[in-house]
Amino acid sequence: MLQNELFNNVIQDFNAGYWELYDDPDREVWSEKFYETIGYSKEEVSPTLDYFLEHLLHKEDVDVFRDNFLNYRKNSVNFKQHIRILSKQGEYKLFRCATNDELPVNIKSEVDLIFFFEIKLEPEQNITKDNFYYKETAQMTATGSWYVDFHKRKSYWDFETRRILEYPDDYIPSLKDSAIYYAKDSRQKAADLFFNCAMVGTPFNTEIKMVTANKRVFWVRAIGKPVYNENKEIIGIRGVFQDIDDIKTKELRLQKSIDIIASQNSRLFNFAHIVSHNLRSHTSNLSLLVQLIEGIDNPEEKIALIDEIKQISSSLNTTIEHLNEIVTIHTNRHQERKSVKFQNALNLVINGIGRMVSKSKTKIEADFKEIEEIDYIPAYLESILLNLITNAIKYKHPDRDPIINITTYIEGNNRYLKISDNGRGIDMKLFGDKIFGMYKTFHYNDDAVGIGLFLTKNQVESLNGKITVESEVDTGTTFIIEF
Amino acid sequence: MSHKIGLTCIIDDDSMYVNLVKKIIEAKNLCQNLMVFQNGKDALNYFEAILTNLDKAAIPEIIFLDLNMPVMDGWEFLENFTKIKNNFGKIITLYIVSSSINPVDVERAKNINSVKDYLIKPVTIEDLESIFLNQST
Repeated sequence: MLQNELFNNVIQDFNAGYWELYDDPDREVWSEKFYETIGYSKEEVSPTLDYFLEHLLHKEDVDVFRDNFLNYRKNSVNFKQHIRILSKQGEYKLFRCATNDELPVNIKSEVDLIFFFEIKLEPEQNITKDNFYYKETAQMTATGSWYVDFHKRKSYWDFETRRILEYPDDYIPSLKDSAIYYAKDSRQKAADLFFNCAMVGTPFNTEIKMVTANKRVFWVRAIGKPVYNENKEIIGIRGVFQDIDDIKTKELRLQKSIDIIASQNSRLFNFAHIVSHNLRSHTSNLSLLVQLIEGIDNPEEKIALIDEIKQISSSLNTTIEHLNEIVTIHTNRHQERKSVKFQNALNLVINGIGRMVSKSKTKIEADFKEIEEIDYIPAYLESILLNLITNAIKYKHPDRDPIINITTYIEGNNRYLKISDNGRGIDMKLFGDKIFGMYKTFHYNDDAVGIGLFLTKNQVESLNGKITVESEVDTGTTFIIEF
Repeated sequence: MSHKIGLTCIIDDDSMYVNLVKKIIEAKNLCQNLMVFQNGKDALNYFEAILTNLDKAAIPEIIFLDLNMPVMDGWEFLENFTKIKNNFGKIITLYIVSSSINPVDVERAKNINSVKDYLIKPVTIEDLESIFLNQST
């Protein structure tokens, strides 16, 4: 009795229907819970194995269940099986059915029992679970999958590919216009990768710029590999896109910092060289002069030599001024930028060198329509214009009056100032790498000092810009400043 | 002293330095004639020109070559000069005289066999005297 009570409690906790199997005569008693789960009343069905097999059990499960049931009945072989039972609502419900010995709890019973545990949506649940992990992984790593089917000539994207490319969930990707998913400068690369993969089966794993539906360009790691059929023919390409814009942007920023550091290092090196070379040449002259003075007895000659000291001291001063200018550029770089009108800066410069301009009959043509003003250190812009204009006049072509063309323009995301002249030009093959060096002169002019372009370059670079030069002997020179 | 040096050549763009060396040479009477070029290009033009009419008197016995110069620097001059130096029928002793104390420059100069020595500015009067003395004995 006590045992019976315990049994009943367990059965209740199980919340499952069951059959009690009785011998002599063989019969099964279906529990109330069993009727309840499949939705029939006792009158509607006959609780026999034959009826069950014929009317309620799913056809595909019949053979195995009959086998199991009879084996248990006759030979006491326990079993566990998944079966589908037709409910009154006309749907098959999934059950895990097990004999009492197969149950996790040891239920002592005088009769044999078969339990039917309803499994609510279990097969689907498994898929949902996998799907959940897959979605989690895809979303957390911003990795979308895709497949290109060559036979159907179609592309397939998963939800994450659509998400990172900012297309709606029902968007159908286009295979024909697939170039539009890539940034303009990456299209050729993408085409090459897919072509090689499709033709010779070369897998790819690369970083490439793509474009979202909202025209935002971003960096993606694109991985793809060929898909083969049984005949080892390539029938498609399968792969993933991972949004790596954050990392790539950081990487590019880091690269930019490295470039800046390298350029600063090279400037520092240059500066050390200048200090050692240019200051040393004066001091060594001074020391040579002193030796000479010491070796001379004639007081008049000695006095004459003292004049030379004046000269050395004045050149020493000039050099130190130049060095000072360079150092100032780099301490000034944090100076506040102001909005400067190109035309105003140019006017100031031309006023300053008016005599030089008119004497040389120089024509200055300026067009600042595209960019009229810029945030810059005003003194630098004036100095840059002054250096490049005076250079153009100093190195004018002997056969023609100088014409200097100054324009501003925008290209891509960058702003430029271009200054071209019709002067005698510089032999780029000979001097290309030296043009912006200090104390480098390329012409035979006596007033060539070799400091102007060096300063200009330093000024431009100290404000994170770039200066380049193109030149052809006898045609002219063009300087381009990228701000 | 067996003979006095006839012609010495200075290739240097520092006119102050050239002026001073000139004065020392005159004062110490170290050689008869001095020729000066302000850069490597001018000097090279000269040497290429005298190859066409080998006037021995126009070929210097000693060259003092600076490294940092406009238009054509000392290295470029050396490169071109080494190609033609055996055609003069006369030994030309070449010294580099530079204010560069960069070890890279010194090492590079040592590896060029037409360079006899590398003098770092400031040169002393004693240096110059001993060079001319050694050359003439």
